[in-house]
Amino acid sequence: MLKTQTYTLNMGPQHPSTHGVLQMVLELDGERVVKAVPHMGYLHRGIEKLAESRTYTQFIPYTDRLDYVSSMGNNLGYCQTVEKLMNIEVPERAEYLRVIMTELNRIASHLLFMSSLAIDLGATTGMIYGFRDREHILDLFDMVCGARLTYNYIRIGGVMADIPAQFISQTQKFLEDFPEMLKEYHNLLTGNEILYYRLKDTAVIDGKLAMEVGLTGPCLRASGIDYDIRKVDSYGVYDRFDFRVPLGENGDNWDRYMVRMDEMVESAKIISQALAKLPDGPILANVPKVLKPPVGEMYHRIENPRGELGYYIVSDGTTKPYRIHVRRPSFVNLQALGPVCKGLMIADVVAILATLDPLMGEVDC
Amino acid sequence: MLGKGLLKGMRITFKRFLGKKVTVQYPEEKIPMSPRFRGGELELDMEKCIACGLCAMACPNKAIQLTSVMGENKKRRLASYIYHSGRCLYCNLCVEACPTKALNWDRNYENSRYFRRQLDVDCLLSSQQSGDAEGRF
Amino acid sequence: MQESMGLFTIATILREIMSQYVSNPQWVDLFMALINIGGIFTLISMAAIVLVYAERKISAYMQMRIGPNRVGLWGTLQSVADMIKLMSKEDIMPIGADKWMWVLAPVLLFIPSALVYAVFPFDQHAIFADLNIGIFYFLAVASQSTLPFLMAGWASNNKYSLLGGMRTVAQMLSYEVPIAFSILGVVMLVGSMRMSDIVAAQQDVWFICLQPVAFVVYIIAAIAETNRAPFDLVESESELIAGPFTEYSGMRWALFFLAEYANLLAASAIATTLFLGGWSGPWLPGWLWFLLKVGLMIFLFMWLRWTFPRLRVDQLMTFGWKILLPVALGNVLITGIGIYTYKFLG
Repeated sequence: MLKTQTYTLNMGPQHPSTHGVLQMVLELDGERVVKAVPHMGYLHRGIEKLAESRTYTQFIPYTDRLDYVSSMGNNLGYCQTVEKLMNIEVPERAEYLRVIMTELNRIASHLLFMSSLAIDLGATTGMIYGFRDREHILDLFDMVCGARLTYNYIRIGGVMADIPAQFISQTQKFLEDFPEMLKEYHNLLTGNEILYYRLKDTAVIDGKLAMEVGLTGPCLRASGIDYDIRKVDSYGVYDRFDFRVPLGENGDNWDRYMVRMDEMVESAKIISQALAKLPDGPILANVPKVLKPPVGEMYHRIENPRGELGYYIVSDGTTKPYRIHVRRPSFVNLQALGPVCKGLMIADVVAILATLDPLMGEVDC
Repeated sequence: MLGKGLLKGMRITFKRFLGKKVTVQYPEEKIPMSPRFRGGELELDMEKCIACGLCAMACPNKAIQLTSVMGENKKRRLASYIYHSGRCLYCNLCVEACPTKALNWDRNYENSRYFRRQLDVDCLLSSQQSGDAEGRF
Repeated sequence: MQESMGLFTIATILREIMSQYVSNPQWVDLFMALINIGGIFTLISMAAIVLVYAERKISAYMQMRIGPNRVGLWGTLQSVADMIKLMSKEDIMPIGADKWMWVLAPVLLFIPSALVYAVFPFDQHAIFADLNIGIFYFLAVASQSTLPFLMAGWASNNKYSLLGGMRTVAQMLSYEVPIAFSILGVVMLVGSMRMSDIVAAQQDVWFICLQPVAFVVYIIAAIAETNRAPFDLVESESELIAGPFTEYSGMRWALFFLAEYANLLAASAIATTLFLGGWSGPWLPGWLWFLLKVGLMIFLFMWLRWTFPRLRVDQLMTFGWKILLPVALGNVLITGIGIYTYKFLG
């Protein structure tokens, strides 16, 4: 008696395209997925627990390591939460520098997204081009704060150090070369019919599902919902810049890809506006060396390249926080995998993992 | 035309095929590090150090262990200074905390060792030797 | 220069030298056949070594890096170092693997890849076996390489390998048909399936000018047959790690690799013979022209591999059956009408 049955395939923690150590247990019928269950936690390092035994300033390097591709954003979120708790006013120059660094980091993070999408789909050359251009941004960061990946640059009350003399000219040179680089990516990847048919109309997350699951960031905007925290709940000096928020229509893989490519252009616009308006002044407010926030709790969120990054700090009046909880965007975004993966093929599972852009350091904290 | 995007992509790779390469041939050529680069091991300038212990207190991971003795004319002197480079986050908090700027990075990125105990650096010893030799246990 | 350095001339000289020492002409024939076979095997092994190096260098240059340049002058000994490494690796067989199928799969894959070299015209009168069903022999033998993939996929006791094996069978079967129809266009123009006749018919104009559509269809189907990107979902590195080859290590994997590059060379050689005029060319000896044209085709294949992402399984099947096959059939129709009109007009 012939019958078919489903089988379990373990796209285990060691896999070339699960973006880190993510385990997906897929139940497959031939090549179609019937059920997908992600298992996370292989990179759990206990950062939230470590926060209870570090002072507020000492915790900043740990926030770097959450979403290690966009460290400036993590630093920014944490420092702004503490500043909100303590009512510290940040000088203007520091605010503009923070915006420049965060937007540069957004470009770097989206370049990494594009590269890993390219290599997951088989276009190895596309990956190398993306990484080659990311090197320019990492050199800029190296010049400013001395590190390429985990910066510890944005501090409570301002930034760590002022920019050296050649930073502005080198950034402007990068911004001038950037449209060329984008044109190359669009010719190599976006215009490619094979990539288009691979990504179009696959893994559709419509607006309703996106809101139910709690997606944020470019994934939410690709489903058509206009929600960017930089516009809705503006923080820092973002309300002084003129940029638009790219939106998608269907919420398929192609929209998530195009939204991020367009966001890079908008970030470049913000950086050039910020460089033009950069004021003089101090870079660090008069913050005491030993920080003792008042008793209370505070939640503050920013728009990270991956979504809404939120910090919830409970302070009990001492130098060390009582509890810090990080609302990590990749962790919440990955919950969409369960409903979306039904009916996809294995190749599409790889594609949806690449376009949801999770980062396991952030998922597992 | 249907295949136009494919042909455009092929043109780009062909252009790059004939173009300049970006490889830096290490170890013959090395990319210079920026002046603020945080890497390598900490260098302690014995003359400037006042044994205040602020660097050890600033470190998130307790990577610096120092002991001091009360010397003559009531000045504190450094007795030992161990830097556990294996625990270091390279966050720069210690360098910033030092009031006399006695602590600096040596900006060397080729520091892999064969044994784990060689990651613990005795900064006093290497500062006294004031040359290329490094203090190791 | 063309005649004096041609392969046939060299073979005749060798035969004369041997006839002076060995009296029985049948022994001379046997020795010549053995030398021919040895030459072909040398070609295949050299092909693997040179093609691996070429692939690494070409892919590196396209990605703005340099590629191997430390081992040997310009990195030419890199493949030799890789071969030595592969020969010294431990041979691990997975638990629960079907022993004889698992062991036989690489061997059975390599045999058809070597057998097809018997009908390639390397030079004028320099074909090992000038069969009158030459091109049909190529098609028949080349399609034998489908089964060892399935054997390897099943016998590895690994779900990823099984998936790879199933995808291979689907892909290779689907793309056999467009290849056959694109070759049919050329055979209709020549009127015979013998390889030397096909090359001889291209003395005036190469068939790439007369059958451009068939050329494009052949290239696409040949990429699918040799499992290269953009049709490499069989061994797609980012999804299935290595498809049916996942559990093989050391020399067995080297055999797979050898077979893959021998297939690539075979596909390029057929393209050269059918569409680019084979060994014919004005001034240089025939085998040198053959090598140059084959090199050009190999560069084209590698260029395509390193530019494009890969297709999904169902897109691949749709493309093969619903787009490529009607185009190939249409080409056959138009060729037939063209031949009839040509004969009608005198």
